[in-house]
Amino acid sequence: MSTRLTFAVPSKGRLMEQTAEFLAESGLKLKKVGHDRGYRGEIEGLDGIDVAFISASEIVAYLNSGRAHIGVTGEDLIRENIVDADDRVTLLKPLGFGRADVVVAVPNCWMDVHAVADLEAASVVFRREHGRPFRVATKYLNLARRFLSGKGIADYRIVESLGATEGTPAAGTADLIVDITTTGATLAANGLRVLDDGVILRSQANLVASKVADWSPETTKARDALFARLGISG
Amino acid sequence: MGAVQPVNFEALEAQARTLLSVFIAAGYEAVAPETIQPAGVFLNVVGEALRGRTYVFTDLNGEELCLRPDLTVPTCRLYLQRYPAADREAFYSYNGPAFRFQPTGADASHPREFRQAGIEAFGDKDAGEADARTLVLILRAVQQAGLSAWKLRVGDIGLFDAILGVADMPDRWRRRLRHQFWRPEAFRAELKRLSTEPARSMAGVPQALIDALRPDDPVQAEALVAEHLQASGVELIGVRSAAEIAEGLLAIAADAKAPPLKPETAALIDTYIRTRAPAAEAAAALRRLTGKSSNGLAAAIDAYERRCGLLADSGVDMSGVDFSAEFGRSVGYYTGFVFEVLADALGPSSPVAGGGRYDGLLKAVGAPRDVPAVGGAVHTERLLTVVRGGRR
Repeated sequence: MSTRLTFAVPSKGRLMEQTAEFLAESGLKLKKVGHDRGYRGEIEGLDGIDVAFISASEIVAYLNSGRAHIGVTGEDLIRENIVDADDRVTLLKPLGFGRADVVVAVPNCWMDVHAVADLEAASVVFRREHGRPFRVATKYLNLARRFLSGKGIADYRIVESLGATEGTPAAGTADLIVDITTTGATLAANGLRVLDDGVILRSQANLVASKVADWSPETTKARDALFARLGISG
Repeated sequence: MGAVQPVNFEALEAQARTLLSVFIAAGYEAVAPETIQPAGVFLNVVGEALRGRTYVFTDLNGEELCLRPDLTVPTCRLYLQRYPAADREAFYSYNGPAFRFQPTGADASHPREFRQAGIEAFGDKDAGEADARTLVLILRAVQQAGLSAWKLRVGDIGLFDAILGVADMPDRWRRRLRHQFWRPEAFRAELKRLSTEPARSMAGVPQALIDALRPDDPVQAEALVAEHLQASGVELIGVRSAAEIAEGLLAIAADAKAPPLKPETAALIDTYIRTRAPAAEAAAALRRLTGKSSNGLAAAIDAYERRCGLLADSGVDMSGVDFSAEFGRSVGYYTGFVFEVLADALGPSSPVAGGGRYDGLLKAVGAPRDVPAVGGAVHTERLLTVVRGGRR
């Protein structure tokens, strides 16, 4: 049984800074324990809480397995990586930072494709001309599959892309993409355009609780103390 | 997640030997296609339903591979490795594992690994004969393995093509409906849309360009699209060509002006799709439905009837066989005759054997042209369960 609550916090970059700022607004200060470059920490003045500094995607795995009780991570990562997300975690509070839209984008030159449904007609001709379905490059395999099949689009193939996804249509390794965008500038620079109804998810960082972590009396008490400071009803 | 029942390996092996000996005696050479297949070719030809259930992985060289979800495509690839010109008749049989991801968890009736024993015939000269021979051989094999009672269900994708061929509509709609045939829900939605409101949204489509395009001149259309892109500073990127974009724009323009599908045309397609009849009466029912019609459809109905006759001549009791027009829609590559062997103990969703004609598949995996092909496979674990009198 765990007696201490594990709070998973992004370990680097803007996401870590903004998480620290969010906590600071409630007068809470994150502090590293031991070596300055270490990955363990605590919150000053709150007992019973271990802070784990890990990557945003690892936080999802921690929450899904129950290794972390509470965490800060993006909704996109939650929805992509946990199949039955609403059974495994609770999204407690959107935090107003880490904003990114997960979108379907096609080459701007596809003047005959503006809505997601237009992909179907285009794919019929495409298969006739090229003998294969459209390739959709993405790291959001599950979000893309769920969204496209929900819109009745079936003749496509997902190719996993772990970086520089926006460049894949111009390179010819994919025909369209599902990716995150904040301002759309990177998409535009790569000759891509978001479909009119192509926003899959408007994501941002969330304070998330695991439903499967060990909620012992001690960890529940630590959670309540944290939530009281943050002004959240758990 | 249910527990997977232990399979008696020796009993399964003995059964497989029986099945294979029947196939080999009929002249089907035993082959062992590769278990691990290149993912690209496989995933391009199987329907999305099978694609989402295929185990795909990347090896240490970065090559994308998959565990075969069935043995038909691997056997096609083996045939093409032997005869790249695809100009020979060939008969193959096999027995081996296939792998499918089970989204709701694997159990005894939905295993992630199962063994298929089957046959494939390539390059036949007489489709009806080859279809009948395939089904007869599969039935002989399962009978030899101890199956004493079964129910047969047949269908014919060729009939659907023929119906679509005579239905009064623009070719582009025909292609779209043909494309959606594999996805019943999307098909219904598309048929409804074409019969009510075929015009698609013009939002974002450059009107001046649409007005300038001449439907009868694809070369001019392609040039105009290229000009328009250049003038608006949009780069043509990706694999999709200006000609394809022009074709898409022309289709949007034509759809905007097209009258909806006539009610009788939509009704013909819809009634056909819903047709279920005893196999021996289906031809007559279809002639009543379609009336006096063009050669293409009459020929397809004749071919169906001839095949039924050939099956009866080979000793298949046609009196209990069901015809279903819908049937065959779940696998993306069938083009003609389709069949399923059902056992009471397992019900209609777990056929003991099945197969059909797939004349377009070899070209899709690399043959220089379409090659006639028909095959069938036995789900060996299910067969063993039924023969032993168990329920699942």
